[in-house]
Amino acid sequence: MDGAIAYVPALLTLAWLLPLASFVAVVFLGPKMGKEGIVGGYVATGAIAGSAVASWVALVLWVSSTTLPIIEHHVADHAPSAADEAAAPAAEESGRVKPLVGRWYSLSPPGLPALGLGYYIDSLTVLMFAMVTLCATCIHVYSLGYMHEELHDVVDHEVQLSGKSSHGGHGHDELGHEAQGHDAGGHGHDAVHGNHLRRPGRFARFFQFLSLFSFSMLGLVIAGDMLMVFVFWELVGICSYFLIGFYRERKSASNAANKAFIVNRIGDFGFLIGLTALWGSLGTLTLGDVKDADGALRRGIFSQVRAPEDGHKLLVPMGMIMADVPDKEREKLASVYGDHAWLDSEEARATSTMAQVRAEAEQWRTDPEKKTLGYWLLVVAGIGVFCGCVGKSAQFPLHVWLPDAMEGPTPVSALVHSATMVAAGVYLVGRFFPVFTPEVLLVIAITGCITLFLAATIAITATDIKRVLAYSTVSQLGYMMLALGMGGWAAGMFHLITHAFFKSLLFLCSGSVIHACHTNDMTKMGGLLKKMPITAYTMLVGCLAIAGAGIPLVIGFSGYYSKDAILAQGMNFAHENGVYSFLLYAAAVGAAITAFYMFRLWYLTFVGPPRVKEIHEHAHESPPVIWWPLVVLAFFAVTAGWFEFIPRLLEQARPLGTAGGAGEGVWWAVKHPAESGAYSFHAAATMAAFGTALAGFLLATVLYGWRMLSAEDVRRQFAPIYRLLWNKWWFDELYDALFVRPVHVVSRLASGIDKRAIDGAIDRTAEGVKRAAFFDDQIIDRLFVDGLVNLTAQWLYSIAAWLRVVQTGKVRQYVLFIVVGTVALFVLISIWAGSGK
Amino acid sequence: MGLKDERHAVRPFAQQIEGLQADTFQSALLFAPELAICMTIVGLLLVRILAGRRVAGAAVALVGSAVGLGLAIQQCCSTMPRTEIFTGMLVYDELTVFFRIFLLAFSVLFILFTWRSGIPDREDSPDIYTLALGATLGMCLMASANHLLIVFLAVEMASVPSYALAGMLKGRRQSSEAALKFSIYGAGTAGIMLYGISLLSGVLGSAHLPTAAVRLAEELAMSPSGETLAVLSLGGLMVMVGLAFKLSAFPFHFWAPDVFEGAAAEIGGFLSVASKGAALALLVRVALGFGYLPQQPAAMPPGVTVALSSAEPASESPVERSRIAALPAGFAVQTDEKLPAATEKAPGESPLEQHAGADKSHAAAARTVPKTRAERMAALAPARSFMGYLIGFLAAITATFGNLAAYGQTNIKRLLAYSTIAHAGIMMMPVAAAMLLAGESATGTAQAVGAVGFYVVMYLFMNLGAFAIVAFLRNELRSEEIADYAGLIHRAPGVALCFSVILISLLGLPPLSGFVAKVVAFLPLADAGWITLLLIGCVNGFLSLFYYLRVVKVMCMDPAPDDAPPVRFPLLTSVNGWLVLVLTVPLLWFGVLWSGVWDWAVAAARSIL
Repeated sequence: MDGAIAYVPALLTLAWLLPLASFVAVVFLGPKMGKEGIVGGYVATGAIAGSAVASWVALVLWVSSTTLPIIEHHVADHAPSAADEAAAPAAEESGRVKPLVGRWYSLSPPGLPALGLGYYIDSLTVLMFAMVTLCATCIHVYSLGYMHEELHDVVDHEVQLSGKSSHGGHGHDELGHEAQGHDAGGHGHDAVHGNHLRRPGRFARFFQFLSLFSFSMLGLVIAGDMLMVFVFWELVGICSYFLIGFYRERKSASNAANKAFIVNRIGDFGFLIGLTALWGSLGTLTLGDVKDADGALRRGIFSQVRAPEDGHKLLVPMGMIMADVPDKEREKLASVYGDHAWLDSEEARATSTMAQVRAEAEQWRTDPEKKTLGYWLLVVAGIGVFCGCVGKSAQFPLHVWLPDAMEGPTPVSALVHSATMVAAGVYLVGRFFPVFTPEVLLVIAITGCITLFLAATIAITATDIKRVLAYSTVSQLGYMMLALGMGGWAAGMFHLITHAFFKSLLFLCSGSVIHACHTNDMTKMGGLLKKMPITAYTMLVGCLAIAGAGIPLVIGFSGYYSKDAILAQGMNFAHENGVYSFLLYAAAVGAAITAFYMFRLWYLTFVGPPRVKEIHEHAHESPPVIWWPLVVLAFFAVTAGWFEFIPRLLEQARPLGTAGGAGEGVWWAVKHPAESGAYSFHAAATMAAFGTALAGFLLATVLYGWRMLSAEDVRRQFAPIYRLLWNKWWFDELYDALFVRPVHVVSRLASGIDKRAIDGAIDRTAEGVKRAAFFDDQIIDRLFVDGLVNLTAQWLYSIAAWLRVVQTGKVRQYVLFIVVGTVALFVLISIWAGSGK
Repeated sequence: MGLKDERHAVRPFAQQIEGLQADTFQSALLFAPELAICMTIVGLLLVRILAGRRVAGAAVALVGSAVGLGLAIQQCCSTMPRTEIFTGMLVYDELTVFFRIFLLAFSVLFILFTWRSGIPDREDSPDIYTLALGATLGMCLMASANHLLIVFLAVEMASVPSYALAGMLKGRRQSSEAALKFSIYGAGTAGIMLYGISLLSGVLGSAHLPTAAVRLAEELAMSPSGETLAVLSLGGLMVMVGLAFKLSAFPFHFWAPDVFEGAAAEIGGFLSVASKGAALALLVRVALGFGYLPQQPAAMPPGVTVALSSAEPASESPVERSRIAALPAGFAVQTDEKLPAATEKAPGESPLEQHAGADKSHAAAARTVPKTRAERMAALAPARSFMGYLIGFLAAITATFGNLAAYGQTNIKRLLAYSTIAHAGIMMMPVAAAMLLAGESATGTAQAVGAVGFYVVMYLFMNLGAFAIVAFLRNELRSEEIADYAGLIHRAPGVALCFSVILISLLGLPPLSGFVAKVVAFLPLADAGWITLLLIGCVNGFLSLFYYLRVVKVMCMDPAPDDAPPVRFPLLTSVNGWLVLVLTVPLLWFGVLWSGVWDWAVAAARSIL
């Protein structure tokens, strides 16, 4: 390993911890930092900028000290032959860079395998760090301008107060931060301003949560242990709760925060099940191979599931087989192998008995009856972990929270929708990719496919500028999941990175527009191109990027490359599995819809006649602190895909054993082809992507750009479909009827039972207890217990008093205790020995 | 005497002396920390005579024990196999090193703390430190005892100075009373212990623990008569009485509350931590010594092997050396005649093979005599379960008694006295578990013994911290009554906080190290499947909740009386405060990052198996 690369873990750790330092500083000192905590914002921004510098230095170090593999553009005639597949692992080894694995803290309960805080750093980690810190820095800088109104008292026009009487309820702070955060400003309490809520600004608090959010996300990315992933996963969740509910006085915001939090918990439940399955069977939650405290190399999840001696092929690991073998066989194994010894697999693998056991297990694996021994555990683990990702990355059927999450301030939406939170789910699927069986991958692909189609259609009708973007995020996340599920690991990860750039750009642009217009409703905008050109053109860049615009086969925006990669892998997959070719078609149609709704958004906002005069007149370009981040992000939205830099870098991190495809399903007939095979479909995919995107673009231009057709007419023509889409496929209503209402009914029932039956019973019982207590107090307690206690106490005190006085006679007695004690013990032992025999 | 024995007569006397010389010299190297302590004691006495009051005794003692600690730590770094030194009287292994470092580190902290608390004034201080270091020396011997005589001598050596220490507050009647009680009680139990030792070595024919264990295995294998069994169990019980006295285990704890209340808090700290730690080490030594045979027989010091083996290879066996060691007590001759078949047996495998020819005739006579280690270990099973259940039983009642009796206490030192009794009970539990696990799993046993070591280290910080705060507060408040601590959180917030942390750690709540210590102490019980004892331990944790938290409540919630004297005890700007911090912060630190000490303790424990 090259020397410079050794600094990467330290750099990334620094980048990870800087936001934490800023969080701590702002939490404790925020309100005292300058006027209204303005310095808190600078501290947070400085910290994340420092992180970004450290991450980019790490990226440069990484790139300069490793060789980027060359992606071969061999246009094979057809799907890779068997010979290619055999050659693939060898090729993969050459391009791959061994991940840096280590552990900072290890909690090893005696007799149990260790849990730890550690890192797992490969090029994916470094790339994610660079992306997350860059986006977050832009968003922090942007927020310095965007959140300026939080620097003084805020009158929230969206909160209607019925009167002064309700003010007390709003003044209550569920987080307990209010007093700490804003008394320093001299404002003390919320006040009612007219009929609206007037409250102190929360500038410092906003940045404190942004810092925590960045720290959590970076911690999740660097984590080398699934437990640590889970911890930071939850931290990301709670941060999103804080930030989405930032305007917590608004009912819609607090509801959205609750929704995000609760929906995510549903996914996390599955995540926990998955983790438990892994922990129970493999005895570790560490990803890579880590040295234990005793110096022994302990196998992590990856090398247990894809063992080196199996050629990194996905096979059910020994731990899972052992967990699933019939008792009889387990006893047999235990007799050769020793009880619980499978936990120390490294030690055991070296011994010859282990070889026997493995040979035996190999037989079971091939035995048609026992072929799936333990396989279900692997599937449970995979599906479980994926469940968490479904929640976090807003996949169908848990996608409902993300559009509501735009209730938070726009920079938060940008952060949630691009670099953090939703990226976490996709990142984890990518990180955990080697553990997913083909069946799980198929589930992932289908989930992603449904999500992408569903969300894209909903985005067509939305009129709220942020809501369109929110659904586009859901849809793009669906793309990533679909890519991963079809075995396109690099394609999915690539799209995650490029999407982060253009989606944060789009959100920040929309924020700039909202900042200028003070409304989210696109139907009230229009003609803003002249008024705010920088925002308009950077947003156009974002739209082109997300639509995947480019000159086919020559050059394009970042989205052009990543979407091509996904479609190419889709064709590759469909070629192998004809049954599942609907996945490809959905992706292609989705690409068209994406282009359509993005340009619909752009046209509605920036061109055409202004729809509401006052808004148009008041609109103005945002200050530089807001548009500079837009320019930076626009640059990356354009260039992120160039020179195949990111795909080549990702190739270094490709999970071992997946270059030859994810393999064939055991239960279902599904075969995941190698991603390298996708290049033979490259040209076709490019043309398909370009064609579909062009179609969407043209349709949007016709409807909204040139306004040759009236959108109103079209809407009337397709009224039922419009209603379906406008109501978001009635998912909220469905969930309301399916889950929320029944819970309400049950809770009302429960509270009714509580009030009538239980309370009554408790009252009566209490009465009885009171009487009994009186009796107890008077008779039992005073007479017996107190008497006994007093007697004991007196007895003890008398002994104590007795010992307290030095008298020769008493000391003799005192020594007598020794003899008495010894004899008593001997007698006891004799009795015990006698009864024992 | 023994030299008239045929086999000894063969060896020329001069060669034996030569061997002994080499042995003593080599052993002394491994004995260096103790020798440093001896030198310090001599130095203290000389200072007293020559320099009078000009040189502070504390400084000499501090330097001496620091040097001793340095030497002990240096030994920790070198890997030395398990070695019997001084002709098998002592054993040197990693457990010795572990407890030695523990005791000497304690000694350094103790001297620092007494220096600050001012209990030994200039006049007294050389005496006090002479006594304290003498006791420490005895405790070091306790931790490395390999012979029943050393067991007795070490206990006495640790106890006798303690008696004087307890009576150190000369002006206080209570103190003298405590010293008197302590010494009488100690004398009584010592007598019983000596009786037990003589019974055991009489039946087993040796006082050298490994040899005695082999004999015991042979005895037990040959289905002994009820009488022999009775004598053996009575002997074991009586030895246990002596240890129980040092551990202040029920029903031999009577001295503890009076002594702790009567003596100064500093001495309370000394007795509760160092003395208890050494007693636990000795308990482990004796219990495992009788119930367990190490996988590798202990080596001899490097030079000695050459010297003795060049003289006469055949006689190189622990039995021989033990016989030399046993000579002064005169057990060897008597038992040689009594058990002719057994005398030839050596504990290790290799001497046995060397003696194979000579043994043939005896082997035919006693077919049931176990020959291999596995057979012997199997034969020792009843001894192990006897000791395991005895220790476990004592542990259970000690812990329960200590916790219950602590309830009504109003004096903080008395409360802590009962708390130490309770903790002694808890600390004995893993020893009991170790005895039950010894025959089955080496890992389990190592973890059980390691738990004792770990607990003792954590206990050092907790209890020394508690007694240090009591002593410092005594200097400020002129009181040791719990009621006088009322409102301490307002008067001395730092110290009240530290004391609360210490008390909660003693109680054993996470994330403090007391919790981890309890967990590792209870886990072996679960391993050994002794759920009843485990439950008793857990219930005891619950019982102790109230009296510890009562002190916390008095300090933090009760209002201070109006006439309360001011407390000048800043935590960060006084040396006393820093001392308290040095003892408190590890509780938080090891509550989270405990694997280092734990691994060390387990490694030390593994070395004796």
